[in-house]
Amino acid sequence: MDLVMGEIFLAFIASLCTGIMYNERKNLLCVGLSGMIGWITYAWMLESSGNVIFSSFLGAVLVGLYSESVARLRKAPAMVFSIPGIFPLVPGIAIYNSTQYIAENNLLEAANTGIEAISCAGAIACGILMTSAVFRIVKKRRTQKS
Amino acid sequence: MKINQVMDIAIKAGKILLANGSEIYRVEDTIGRICRSYGVEAECFVLPTSIFITVIGKEGEPLSYVKRISERTVNLSRIEMVNSFSRSIQENPMSYEEAIKTLEKIEGEKDYKFGLRLLVAGITAFAYTLLFKGTVQDAIVAFLIGMLIYISKEKVSRIGVFKFFEYFVSGLIAASMSVIAVKLFPFLNIYRIIISSIMILLPGVSTTNALKDALHGDIVSSQFGITEAIFTVVSVTAGVAIILSLGLGWI
Repeated sequence: MDLVMGEIFLAFIASLCTGIMYNERKNLLCVGLSGMIGWITYAWMLESSGNVIFSSFLGAVLVGLYSESVARLRKAPAMVFSIPGIFPLVPGIAIYNSTQYIAENNLLEAANTGIEAISCAGAIACGILMTSAVFRIVKKRRTQKS
Repeated sequence: MKINQVMDIAIKAGKILLANGSEIYRVEDTIGRICRSYGVEAECFVLPTSIFITVIGKEGEPLSYVKRISERTVNLSRIEMVNSFSRSIQENPMSYEEAIKTLEKIEGEKDYKFGLRLLVAGITAFAYTLLFKGTVQDAIVAFLIGMLIYISKEKVSRIGVFKFFEYFVSGLIAASMSVIAVKLFPFLNIYRIIISSIMILLPGVSTTNALKDALHGDIVSSQFGITEAIFTVVSVTAGVAIILSLGLGWI
């Protein structure tokens, strides 16, 4: 449990720092929370299902939901929260492994891990896209009514 | 207010958004909103490198304005401020001088100090190493390499060789430093160090923006963002791969 709490804290710090690197000022705390939520979902799903791609997808969905709703509360663009939020989900290990296999001239394994990396990136993209699409539909409905 | 003054405000707001890493649809949206709040009907078309606005004047003559954006960075704070500026202008249209003054203030907003950004780059690498289940020793090395990469990225991009060169150089540095560190201290884990330290180079902004633009039907800008992201990742990994193919045998 200690380790898990530590990880959650690290995810918070990592996203917060990404936020500072992108010169975010007003909503730094919310930015940190975004990464934390994404990481909790991702780590928890990965542990219970073992499927990296699905876990990335779900993590991204949660980051998307969080950032779209906080964006409305704080009256800031959603990208402010979603960009630092998805950083912990990025398939860095798969990209690295693929690169290393290329360096070792093991092209079959490189393709294997490369496809894993691309699928993860696609899953994250899909997650973010779906949540923004849902929020957009809701917004359109509302403006049509009024 | 004169039509060219409205256009001036709109183009200035659009320029700040675009130069600081906003999505394309947000730029078009903001320009349209500003023009509409002054009762001017504008047609605008934005690409990641330029803004085009055309307005029909009082006597039916078309007025048009093209603005090239050459330098682009990421500053989320400025985007937020322009966003709330355009919303406030919609509610009560302010005078030309006041609007330009506000926009100039937003544009003059400073980035965080280099020292702080440097430290934060190091902490990011440190945190990601531990997050990817590395040891504290790995994390300390990643902290140093992360800072080094950030310096090289900033300096090389200022020299301005070509767009993706800084990423290639940063990849080279990350991998070579990690190889040297592992050679000196064999208990370190090379791949955790490299992954965590190149984390700060990943194209999060262009990817996310490209997705949002695609959702708004802006396929051209979306393609631009995706291509930019792919080029960035390929540049970094090419740098890493070159060093690894030389260095892995040496370790």
